[in-house]
Amino acid sequence: MHSAWRTFTLAAGMAVPAAYATEYMSIEAAQRIAFPEATTFTPVLLALDADARARLAAVARPPGAREPRVWRAMAGNRLLGTFYADAVIGKQEYIVFGLALDASGRVLRLDVLDYRETHGWEIRNERWRAQFAGKTAADPVDVGRDIANISGATLSCRHVTDGVRRLLALHALLPAT
Amino acid sequence: MRCYPPPEQWVTRAQVWLGTLVEIALPQDEATEASFAAGFAAIAHVHRRMSAHDPASDLARIARSAHRQAVIVDRDTMAVLQLARDLSQATQGRFDVTVPRRHGPGRRRPARRGGMSALQLERGRLVRTDRPLALDLSGIAKGHAVDRAVDALRRAGGSAGLVNAGGDLRVFGAGAWLPVRLRVPQAPSLALRCFDIRDAAVASSADYFRDGRPALFDPCHGRTRTFRDSVSVVAPTCALADALTKVVALMPARCAPLLARFGAHAFRLVANGRDARTTCHASTQYLRLAAEAAA
Repeated sequence: MHSAWRTFTLAAGMAVPAAYATEYMSIEAAQRIAFPEATTFTPVLLALDADARARLAAVARPPGAREPRVWRAMAGNRLLGTFYADAVIGKQEYIVFGLALDASGRVLRLDVLDYRETHGWEIRNERWRAQFAGKTAADPVDVGRDIANISGATLSCRHVTDGVRRLLALHALLPAT
Repeated sequence: MRCYPPPEQWVTRAQVWLGTLVEIALPQDEATEASFAAGFAAIAHVHRRMSAHDPASDLARIARSAHRQAVIVDRDTMAVLQLARDLSQATQGRFDVTVPRRHGPGRRRPARRGGMSALQLERGRLVRTDRPLALDLSGIAKGHAVDRAVDALRRAGGSAGLVNAGGDLRVFGAGAWLPVRLRVPQAPSLALRCFDIRDAAVASSADYFRDGRPALFDPCHGRTRTFRDSVSVVAPTCALADALTKVVALMPARCAPLLARFGAHAFRLVANGRDARTTCHASTQYLRLAAEAAA
């Protein structure tokens, strides 16, 4: 029955890059969606000392993690929550994501803002992201424990999960207001 | 798998559903918000009804209670289950959407043989099972969602369009050939143009994004199969293309009659980086081999 198949040779030089790069949402748009009633987003300057850095590194070390950008979402004088913009390396390149926490430090939403990979769009799946709702630094945010792993995008999930875990630990170090 | 961008005068929108990026492209003069919304709504509907993780989905309801009393399922779920049953019968059980049940936790014994015979589909969209049975439609539902989106775009008045759910794609009405690229199995960041399609669907299966954990489960042997090549199927509908990739991967030597029955053709990129194999011996009205396109 092998005669049903016909073999042909591929021209190796014809292979072209299959990479995919897309900006889904700006930081500003993600902030407005997470905190629609906010009147201002006040930047928070991080000044992490060596001790704080060591504590964060002990929590999670997602590949490529840099200093996140942080904003307080305010409605007048009222604190609505905190918005983090951070990036981790997926397979080869950066995934930029926005994490919104409410005033009590619980996850409101997690949006992927920018994705530059050949694979791994699965982490934008709503249901997967919804699992972060209500997580605090006290919860073990880890693939295989309380975050479902997504078939086919294991590496990406793990790294964004690590990134979220690190931000939740960082949030616990920030002053309350 | 990625296709070439659609014609430049087409407008492309993307949303995330089914665990992947879903793109809909429409000709500029038909690219209305209502049309995009209709297409994405059809995708979202299939996502909600057939997710294995959503406790409100038809799959969850079947797993919970179909062994005690018949469960009424959505029209789309019934259509997918009927196609799955037909393919199971046509492949002597090689295509199987039931989740294998292990003999006791932690044991390394083979799973039970496929459970499709425990699944009864009755009139009135009723599903009944002989025993508690979990279903996994990940090998077929994405293709069905693409088909439903194409139906919705047509109903909304569209004369042409492209729906691409992470590589399971279908093009309709364009009149022109759509070149399709397949990822190279041992270097998936590279892709090769192998054929063009017209008014047809393509889907691919491979293990290269699985970090060494095989995706393919062989129900007749009760274990996963390591699979280094990639398999792509061109078929009239995307559900068929999606499902038939698994059949071709599991029974490459015996799939030809089944492919012919459905008007489908298979491509297999061998992981040596040089060779490709196909059941297509000559171009058809909806499938054109790249070598002939270049000539």
